[in-house]
Amino acid sequence: MKGASRYLPSIPVLLAYAALFGFGLLNPGKWQLVAQLAFYCALGQAFNLFMGMTGYVDFGYVAFLGIGTYGMAISISGLADKGLGLGVIGIGLILSVVFAVLLALAVGAVALRLRGAYFAIATIGVNEGFRYLIEGARIWNGSEGIIFSSHLRELVGREAAMSLSTFWADVMVFGVAVIATVLTIGYMRSKIGYALAALRMDEDAAKVMGINVTRFKIIAFITSAALAGLLGATAWAVKLTYVYPADVFGIHYTVEAIIIVLLGGAGTLLGPIVGGLIYGVSKYYLAVYLPGFQLLVFAPVIVAVIVLFPEGTVGMIKRKLLGTALEKYIL
Amino acid sequence: MILEQLAGNLLQGVVLGTVYGMATMGLSLIFGVLKVVNVGHGAFIMVGAFTSFAVFEYLGLSPVFAIPVAFGIGMALGMIFYYSSIRRLLKGPELASLLATFSFGVILEEGIKFLFTSDFRGFNWDLGKIDMGFTVLPYAKVAACLGSVAIAVLLYLWFNKTRAGMAMRSVVEDGVGARVCGVNVDWMYALSFSLGIGLTVASGVLLTMFVSVGIHPYMGGEYTLKAFVVAVLGGLASPYGAFFGGLVFGLLENGSYTLFAQIPGLEPFAMTRFFSFLILLLILLLRPTGLLKAK
Repeated sequence: MKGASRYLPSIPVLLAYAALFGFGLLNPGKWQLVAQLAFYCALGQAFNLFMGMTGYVDFGYVAFLGIGTYGMAISISGLADKGLGLGVIGIGLILSVVFAVLLALAVGAVALRLRGAYFAIATIGVNEGFRYLIEGARIWNGSEGIIFSSHLRELVGREAAMSLSTFWADVMVFGVAVIATVLTIGYMRSKIGYALAALRMDEDAAKVMGINVTRFKIIAFITSAALAGLLGATAWAVKLTYVYPADVFGIHYTVEAIIIVLLGGAGTLLGPIVGGLIYGVSKYYLAVYLPGFQLLVFAPVIVAVIVLFPEGTVGMIKRKLLGTALEKYIL
Repeated sequence: MILEQLAGNLLQGVVLGTVYGMATMGLSLIFGVLKVVNVGHGAFIMVGAFTSFAVFEYLGLSPVFAIPVAFGIGMALGMIFYYSSIRRLLKGPELASLLATFSFGVILEEGIKFLFTSDFRGFNWDLGKIDMGFTVLPYAKVAACLGSVAIAVLLYLWFNKTRAGMAMRSVVEDGVGARVCGVNVDWMYALSFSLGIGLTVASGVLLTMFVSVGIHPYMGGEYTLKAFVVAVLGGLASPYGAFFGGLVFGLLENGSYTLFAQIPGLEPFAMTRFFSFLILLLILLLRPTGLLKAK
């Protein structure tokens, strides 16, 4: 595939986000649901960028969202009285990415040397380990967390703080989703994507062919972590205006990311959006009928997906559309 | 004073470490035979803890009786999970079995939460205690420690004296060779998986001697992490290595607690948990084959 047509698969993804956004604007009563769906889709995309493209599972993934939340929390609570206005939000976004990347470098330095099962073992404690470091060494207020709603009001005023938390934070999540889409298709259509595809199929063969697998794994790992940091900073920090270590390092967000990516189709571009919508909508309705037990329904679903159709929804659609005119829009 | 405290904590560490070792043997057994990492390990320990709680509270029986019950439940769960999914995933990418065992953990956690709610529970099996001057050791903990040793010895005998145990070892050595010699490899996989799960659930009973009020559906996550530290210390694929790793980890954990408690401004409890994660990373970085084996 040559030229701009290589990037056609991003159209359905961006259209889906535009439709979701438009639906939210037209139905203010459903905005919370729309925001939740956008978060799940973006979370799936960020997670997929590493897990889907490399075939490695990072069970401690939520740590990157958590530390991103702290990045935003620290800049808002620390810089509220410096008269920087909305610039503080910008600084917070940058800080959240920097934190996430630093953590990714630290974790990756150990974990990415390891293969398969050992990688999973190295990452499974990252979120808990980091949480206990914050609580144990009393970093950033330790287990008491940071509550910065008053700082945010001081920074931009009561009205603006309100609209930041209830509307603009969600708009920023959409922004992160668009960035994730652009990065994913950019990677898939470049040397990075091909190298990772080779690595996913057979890491040893890829190495023998002269691919620097470690380098490409690090690129995917860091990008995925940075996106998670942004999601934490927007969907959690700006929206909720508080952060507690016990909340933001909870493993069930990693579980949700895994469910979303698998339902949609790991390693596909459209998959996380389809998975995020299926998961978000069914969770929303399950909350009505089985409050608190959504995971009891979804965990067996993951097993069923892994055993029965490991390629996920989009993987199946892709196979159905082979040879048709729609083929070049689905990836 | 601090030396006395340290000595006391280290003794407690040996007792707890033995149980940690036993709690990790199942993980190592499954990895050794099937090359599958049971990422939901802690959830199976949690099931054992609830079994112990239910037997003690509802049937009024001592935890000694809960061990065979838990072992049976574990064997059954192992068989169900093996035949429903693990068996089909053995030839697939590693990702598949990791995600599957992770999901088993979530299923168990949510299932137990559904049955028992997410309240914290506990029970106290009061047998009296030994006062040694520098530390006090309840008999219940000593019993858990001795129980762990007994189970480890039984496992050793089973591996070395029974036909099935020897067949299982042959599968570890050389799967194809074992098949050629007439070993039913698929059945050995099923048996090792459910034996591993059975041991893990049983170990949950022993661990309840150490967490008097800490039984709840999400208690397992902590033990998954600890079990991985222990397993990696012992070399991941060997149940006996795991036993040794448990002892080392018990000592490290309790020793570091004493030291962290001396540093003002630190929360020793949380720091100890962070420290165990740090040990995991260090060993994976420096000696991924475990402490016992040479590189």
